[in-house]
Amino acid sequence: MENIKKLILNTVPAAVIEEKQKLTVTVEWSKLHLLAKTLRDNAELSFDVLVKLIGMDRGEELGVNYLLCASKDLSKEIVLKTGTADRENPLLYSVTDLFETAHYNEREVFALLGIRFINNPDMRKFFLNADWVGYPLRKDYDANPELNPLSLESVDMVDIAPRIMENEKGELVEDTVNIFGDDDYIINIGPQHPSTHGVMHFRTALDGEIVKKIDVHSGYIHRGIEKLSENLTYPQILHFTDRLDYLSANINRHGLCMCVEKAAEIEVPERAQYIRTIMDELNRIDSHLLAWACQTNDLGATTAFIYGMREREIILDIFEKTCGGRLIINQNVVGGVMFDIYNEFQKDVKSFIIYMRDKLKEYDRFFSHNVIALGRMIKIGNLTKEDAISYAVTGPAGRGSGWSCDIRKHIPYALYDKVDFKEIVRTEGDSYARYLNRLDEIEESLHIIEQLIDNVPEGDICAKVKPIIRLPEGEYYSRVEACRGEFGVFIESRGDKFPYRLKFRSPSMALVSVMPLICQNEKVSDFIGIGGSMDYVIPDIDR
Amino acid sequence: MKFVLIRIIRSFMILNYSQPLEVTNLTSWLDSALRSSMSEFWVLLIEFVLVGVALLAAYAVIALILIYAERKITAFFQARFGPNRVGKWGLLQSVADMIKILLKEIVKINRSDRFLFFAAPFFMIVASMATFGAIAFGKGLHAIDFNIGVLYVTAVSSLGIIGVLLAGWSSNNKYSMIGAMRSGAQFVSYELSAGFALMTIVVLAGTMQFSEMIDKQQYCWNIFNGHISSIIAFVIYLISGHAETNRGPFDLPEAESELTAGYHTEYSGLQFGFYYLAEYLNMFIIASIATTVFLGGYLPIQVKGWEAFNGIMGYIPSYVWFFGKTAGLIFLSLWVRWSFPRLRIDQLLNLEWKYLLPINLVNIVVMVILVLTGLTLTDLLPGIF
Amino acid sequence: MRSVAKYFSGLFTGIKSLLFGMSVTWKELWTKKVTQQYPENRDTLVISDRFRCELVMPHDENNEHACTACGICQMNCPNGTIVVTSQMIETEDGKKKKILDTHQWDLGMCTFCNLCVITCPSDAIKFDNTFENAVFTRSKLVHKLNHEGSKLREKKKEPLAPKGE
Repeated sequence: MENIKKLILNTVPAAVIEEKQKLTVTVEWSKLHLLAKTLRDNAELSFDVLVKLIGMDRGEELGVNYLLCASKDLSKEIVLKTGTADRENPLLYSVTDLFETAHYNEREVFALLGIRFINNPDMRKFFLNADWVGYPLRKDYDANPELNPLSLESVDMVDIAPRIMENEKGELVEDTVNIFGDDDYIINIGPQHPSTHGVMHFRTALDGEIVKKIDVHSGYIHRGIEKLSENLTYPQILHFTDRLDYLSANINRHGLCMCVEKAAEIEVPERAQYIRTIMDELNRIDSHLLAWACQTNDLGATTAFIYGMREREIILDIFEKTCGGRLIINQNVVGGVMFDIYNEFQKDVKSFIIYMRDKLKEYDRFFSHNVIALGRMIKIGNLTKEDAISYAVTGPAGRGSGWSCDIRKHIPYALYDKVDFKEIVRTEGDSYARYLNRLDEIEESLHIIEQLIDNVPEGDICAKVKPIIRLPEGEYYSRVEACRGEFGVFIESRGDKFPYRLKFRSPSMALVSVMPLICQNEKVSDFIGIGGSMDYVIPDIDR
Repeated sequence: MKFVLIRIIRSFMILNYSQPLEVTNLTSWLDSALRSSMSEFWVLLIEFVLVGVALLAAYAVIALILIYAERKITAFFQARFGPNRVGKWGLLQSVADMIKILLKEIVKINRSDRFLFFAAPFFMIVASMATFGAIAFGKGLHAIDFNIGVLYVTAVSSLGIIGVLLAGWSSNNKYSMIGAMRSGAQFVSYELSAGFALMTIVVLAGTMQFSEMIDKQQYCWNIFNGHISSIIAFVIYLISGHAETNRGPFDLPEAESELTAGYHTEYSGLQFGFYYLAEYLNMFIIASIATTVFLGGYLPIQVKGWEAFNGIMGYIPSYVWFFGKTAGLIFLSLWVRWSFPRLRIDQLLNLEWKYLLPINLVNIVVMVILVLTGLTLTDLLPGIF
Repeated sequence: MRSVAKYFSGLFTGIKSLLFGMSVTWKELWTKKVTQQYPENRDTLVISDRFRCELVMPHDENNEHACTACGICQMNCPNGTIVVTSQMIETEDGKKKKILDTHQWDLGMCTFCNLCVITCPSDAIKFDNTFENAVFTRSKLVHKLNHEGSKLREKKKEPLAPKGE
């Protein structure tokens, strides 16, 4: 990392480098693009993954934090900070030409904070209506409902995007661009549709059966969780994570608890780590079962859907007996876990492992080699490794394209460095590779649970934590491997019992952002099938 | 009155003792009773009306039974019970559904083509009922016995596609039109294969008339008679039949997870009921034509020389044999539908034009060779078959 | 010739895979189904003890509860589901004491996050596993947890077990 510091100072001599929880570099806004490009094109260690793009209102300035990491070694991270003091018309340079994943993130920052990005080709607001008054994440936002009343009239969709571009002379030109051509046949897939796995609106331009262009409209389930968290104490924020990606509820909550524990330097007892890891892996199995069931349902085999749900019931019964909830699991708290394991936990889990292995063989016989299923999945929805890295597609979808991105292997947390498991990576990059990835990951999770289930040590299930948790001042990051990809938490604290800014990095946003790319020139039926293989969950995107 | 009663009882006593449960005696008694009391014109009129009413009733009742059977068997494949609240084991579920469909409001669509929208379901139902009339349900239960039976059935069942295309077009809905276009392409392609498969058996049997074809299968069903060639034709006929009626893995036009309901999205109430009924009955018709042509229709299993065995088999009435064989084929159809995902439209058409059609053509040639060189089972082993 | 061989081998592997799939569904047809017939099986239904359905304040046989109206549950609730109203009374020794008037809990707003239960210093409230809570009007979803005429159980000499967080 010393070489990286030299490189930064060579490129931008005025950069301020600090060694906080991560290596943080603060630069002026006009130099950020240059610095990011240098770091990305660095031959020795290329920082080519934009993990988090966090817009914040720092009081005196509006700014953005970028967490970059290297695709070859995810533990090498760097944070770039920049900002602008102009609150009337804040402008920053866009990094969409370096990292494709910045498109939707920058649109989100525009909607919530008002910062416009120069050279972003599409500067519409992402979650909110175009005529929303005010910018919610700013500290001086007026939350009066009179300003933004509920509209009861139906409004036609407008497919025009404003943008700010910089021309060769260095002047800023504001213009608009049409998203679709004049005579495109446009249909709306969603928001109410049996197959979009939630409320997602894809405006699709079709040419007969072929998809020409997709435009994603999001925000139908935006609840403003990040803004709500700024007025709640840390234990009170925990329940929100169960309502983001509800299928990997336990893992998301684990990520948030880890962030707070690392910041407050609380040590989690050994027994709690075991319970956390076992419950995480059970959660992963149940989420992948649902992903398999929904993917096969989208392709037309309804029977497989019900088989997947039947297996899932056993895991949900185990969750119910441990912590009282089936989907809203509520198990992790800051410092450990809330509920101890019940008496027959080990017996139930071991019998489930045997049952599930048998069922995996049955799924293999039933669906994985079926000639019709192969015809619907092989060579459909190809995602190359470069695109996966640029769009920051992690999880089984990213690993299906050949990118080894499992946080459990690269930055181990909980007990993942003590157990033996394989990281499942396939290189074909089509729907079939993603499908097989999930089934193999269920097997690996069973293997992890087997190694841990008999060795749970005695002890406390939760460390002693003060009733009011105050984090010391600073910026804290945590990254965990959720079922769909990398889930990240960012907390900036100014010493209060409330966070100053809380941000969740959503894995499904990256999965949806790559849909317009891989569904181009595929048929409508395949669009549905590819959506099933990507397996995104919408409340995770909208927060 | 006592006289008529004695005549009724005596006519019933002229029973064919080896086959007492057949209805041929009932129908011939009815015919003679009517003829003896009225003129020719009235007798024919009353008989036509009775047969028509019986067919329509059979149509509706078979549809209800099929819907119930499908729901229950589907549920058992899918690790759940089917309907079991309405009546014991859910037996009255179909009746409740029928009453519900009759009571629903028919929603008028804005800016749709009113006449075509209204007329479209009728094409489907009429085509399916016309084919229904040509099926031989049992001995003496054959409504229309054309001498070009196979050709008639193939021709009339093609009328159904007009209903689908009209529905998609007149609904003024982009999704419906996509569904209707897909269905049109699929139907026209698979008609070919179904027709050729039936032609193979016409070559074997030497006649297109259903009743003669059935009579020839007394000791050996056609599927065994033509061995290799018949079995291939049977499989091809079943696949094409399912594709024609939008069932099984070929149900792309009404793929629920993609297009909500395809060409009949905008229909409600009784008009939707027509499409629903027609789909189930088409499946029944395909199964029954396959039974008639390949599996011996309403004839029982008979072995030449085992008279006692033949007597026992013959005691079971012919309609039970017919419905039993058809039920077996319908079960096969349900089994296939719930085990496989859906084929995409280009893969569907691929299957037809690159696989089924060439195999079909070669198969016809093989069957012709088998018949002309006397290699069918009836020719090879005349003692047994 | 190779393409002809590929055509036929592709055909046969395809048919074989289809038949395997059909064998799985055939086996499933004959296995016992796991569906439970609710509400006929209410007598034998087993709901786990920890299942969080309804917040209750356990009262013992003398109609006494353990709630001291401290309001900690109200402070910890993330969305204002609990409203504790108290009143000041005079005890026999003339001291002013705060006792519980109503402990109100809104089933429609609760997120079942369990914070009220684990932060209560006197173990007064807990989640019960009675799941049949559906009502026809929304106002009936607001429950009053303390029963009529109940009062605080007097503290014994030994202190209650401290709550671990």
